[in-house]
Amino acid sequence: MHRRTLLQTLSLASLAGALPGLSISALANSIKSYSVEELPKLEGELTLYLGRGEGGLYEDVLNAIKKRNPNFDLKIRRGPTAALANMLLAEAKAGVSRADLFWAVDSGAIGQVAQAGLAKSLPTDITAQLKPEFRFHNWAPITGRIRTLPYNPTKVGSKQLPTSIMDLPNTDLSIAWAPSYASFQSFVTAMRLLEGEAATIQWLKAMKQKAKKYAGELGVVMAVERGEADIGLANHYYTLRLKSGKPDANLTLAFTNNDAGCLINASGIISLTENKTAIDFIRYLLTTEVQSYLSSEAYEIPLAGNNAPPQGIPTLDTISPPNVDLTKLADVRPTLTLMRKAGVL
Amino acid sequence: MKPWSTSYIVAFMVAALALFPVSVLFSLASDSTQIFDAYNLEVLANTLLLMAFTALGAILIGVPLAVILTYVQLPWKKFWLVLLAAPLAMPSYLGAFTFYATFGYSGELNALTGIETPPFDGLFGASVIMIFYTYPFVLLSTRAALSSLDASQVYAARTLGMSLLTSLWRIALPRIFNGIAAGALLASLYALSDFGTPAFMGLDTFTRVIYVEYNAFGLSQAAMLSLQLLVIVALVLYLEAQVKGSQEPPGRHLVFWPNKKQLLLIISGMFPIVLFAIVLPLAVFSIWLWRDGFGNFELSYAWNSAQASLLAAMAAMIIALPLAHASLKGRAGKFMERIIFVGFGIPGIVMGTALVYIGLQLPFLYQTLGLLVLAYLLRFLPLAIGSIRTATENLDTSMVNAARLLGASRQEAFRRVTLPLTMRGVIAGGALVFLEAMRELPATLLLGPTGYETLATYLWRVYEAGYFGLAAIPGLLLIFISALGLLLMLTGERFNDIEFNKETQIK
Repeated sequence: MHRRTLLQTLSLASLAGALPGLSISALANSIKSYSVEELPKLEGELTLYLGRGEGGLYEDVLNAIKKRNPNFDLKIRRGPTAALANMLLAEAKAGVSRADLFWAVDSGAIGQVAQAGLAKSLPTDITAQLKPEFRFHNWAPITGRIRTLPYNPTKVGSKQLPTSIMDLPNTDLSIAWAPSYASFQSFVTAMRLLEGEAATIQWLKAMKQKAKKYAGELGVVMAVERGEADIGLANHYYTLRLKSGKPDANLTLAFTNNDAGCLINASGIISLTENKTAIDFIRYLLTTEVQSYLSSEAYEIPLAGNNAPPQGIPTLDTISPPNVDLTKLADVRPTLTLMRKAGVL
Repeated sequence: MKPWSTSYIVAFMVAALALFPVSVLFSLASDSTQIFDAYNLEVLANTLLLMAFTALGAILIGVPLAVILTYVQLPWKKFWLVLLAAPLAMPSYLGAFTFYATFGYSGELNALTGIETPPFDGLFGASVIMIFYTYPFVLLSTRAALSSLDASQVYAARTLGMSLLTSLWRIALPRIFNGIAAGALLASLYALSDFGTPAFMGLDTFTRVIYVEYNAFGLSQAAMLSLQLLVIVALVLYLEAQVKGSQEPPGRHLVFWPNKKQLLLIISGMFPIVLFAIVLPLAVFSIWLWRDGFGNFELSYAWNSAQASLLAAMAAMIIALPLAHASLKGRAGKFMERIIFVGFGIPGIVMGTALVYIGLQLPFLYQTLGLLVLAYLLRFLPLAIGSIRTATENLDTSMVNAARLLGASRQEAFRRVTLPLTMRGVIAGGALVFLEAMRELPATLLLGPTGYETLATYLWRVYEAGYFGLAAIPGLLLIFISALGLLLMLTGERFNDIEFNKETQIK
């Protein structure tokens, strides 16, 4: 019942810092982890636009923060991340401002809003809490997720796994994928930026011949585990979640090399106002309590402070993600057009 | 030319307001870059196919049921009629949601019994759901045509040696054709403008694609698609106006007395329809309730639903009175009432798109309850007007005339004679608006204030998050609200002919 512990840690006075995940090596690191105990109380009213959070786990975090701050009134508008980003742009264009904060599950959406000049600069003590490669002056990444190739070792056997995502359709492996899923579309956007439109549409068409479609990426991972397909395309945490419920699951993670197939994407938050409460709210999301909760419950990679990554994935420095400007992933429209042309949507 | 009365002025203002969303769409669509592309063609094909399958399926189920429920002497006839008409009162998205969650690999059926069924989605899924929830349109319209049919000719044909089925086919069918067509057109109109079912079934119809475009805030593209959708709506409404039910002088009715075996056959034929359309959703939501409990459901969602709907109902009752009054007064009023009916033909997703844009232009309205209530009002006002008009039409004008003769002013006669007599229609109309607004999904999704979660939007949210179990409470509450609506319809005009073989009223 981790959910309960989170609520307790956040809402009751607990021993600050006495948490697992803080190892000796963390002390050698210059990044400071904060506990909710050290933060000022939140007061007043904020409006948060919340891009669809991982199956309610973000809601738990928000409820815990609300519970801890009785004088704080948080209004939440929920929707698909891309939809809310577009909404913020339309509102800005019409000169209507309603949101104070935008928590998105995709850096692309963040980029879209930041490029429109809506993101306010964050104080340096906030950016200093993040891992060096995730420091941005006007938004705070919260957790990371990696594109992976979950495969079924029994079915794959001694067959060769591709090291490049572009080679995947040329193997004789059967594939599972979820083209309508937003994370997948961000990945195709990355491919479009790295490989160009022609190569991407060719890849999509080749994949279409071989891949079986699923509604979401949890479905993909489950299908691979059952042996309906040899290999799938999914965010890393789906595999970890499935394995947490079924430790002996027939499932292993593979990573491609330096291409869109192992893109690291981040969820993150933007402040649209200079309001002190909004900035303090961001501090809450970077605390050890929230970060370790999202790591242990949602299996996402904590990006602030010194919090242990979820069990079962290699550390970030052993993966070779492609060099893509995360904020360019916002351009989903041409991607959708491309996917429709290829007939995969 | 007389100066216009107050009711005309109100009617004119509301009619102008009803046309406003359409004009907004026109101005929005004018910056659209693409009028029509290949993908658009696919959306059009999906939409038309869904409409065609729905109409066809509704006829195949609705017509035989109408024949049985009109001519065959069944035990508990009234009960069957109410039961088989009930799906009409249920929003089809509840059916779509539960079917989607029941079948397929990760469906409830597989989880509970280990029977793996193919997934229930796409064009097939959407068509089946639509048929289950729209066949009552055909059932009721056909039944109305059948009960005004004089059976003497069928008997004559039988005595001349024609078999029963042939005589029904060749003699009865041509005379009830219009009734069937009217019902089928209504069914296809429902399929055309419904948002929830194609969305849950993952079928790209106009409504779903408009929502996708709205999410990308491609408002001009959304408006363009909306206008294309409205053209089809207008076409269906026009056709519907062309097929007028023919009234024959009432004569004798056909009556069949089935034997035990035939009775069993008939009832076992009707049973699966009720099972799928009503029992399955109820059962699935109940299982979830029992398994997952209340989850994080808050009573405030129900209160939010009720609050916005209540405001809309009250406004509708106040505005509908003069409108109904005007429509009975003369041709201009009748024409304005027609215009206001446009609102009813505008699908919720289209109304939402238009009003979001209006809100962005008028920030004091944006994301306020007022805008949402306005959307409800524009969409459901015609229901209130219709119900009030029915009550007013049955008024005896000599009472008003008597009051005027005794020296009452026009206003006083209205207040002391007409109003009390039409109150029942007003209340029923208000209640209809209330229940419809409670279940509305797409416009609520687009226009609700921040943090304003209603039963329907909460259901949508748990669907998107994949926590189907949490939909139990809102699902059951929405079914309960639909049941109330059905009760209201039963006391209203639509079911007045429930007992046939009475004197048919000549209207």
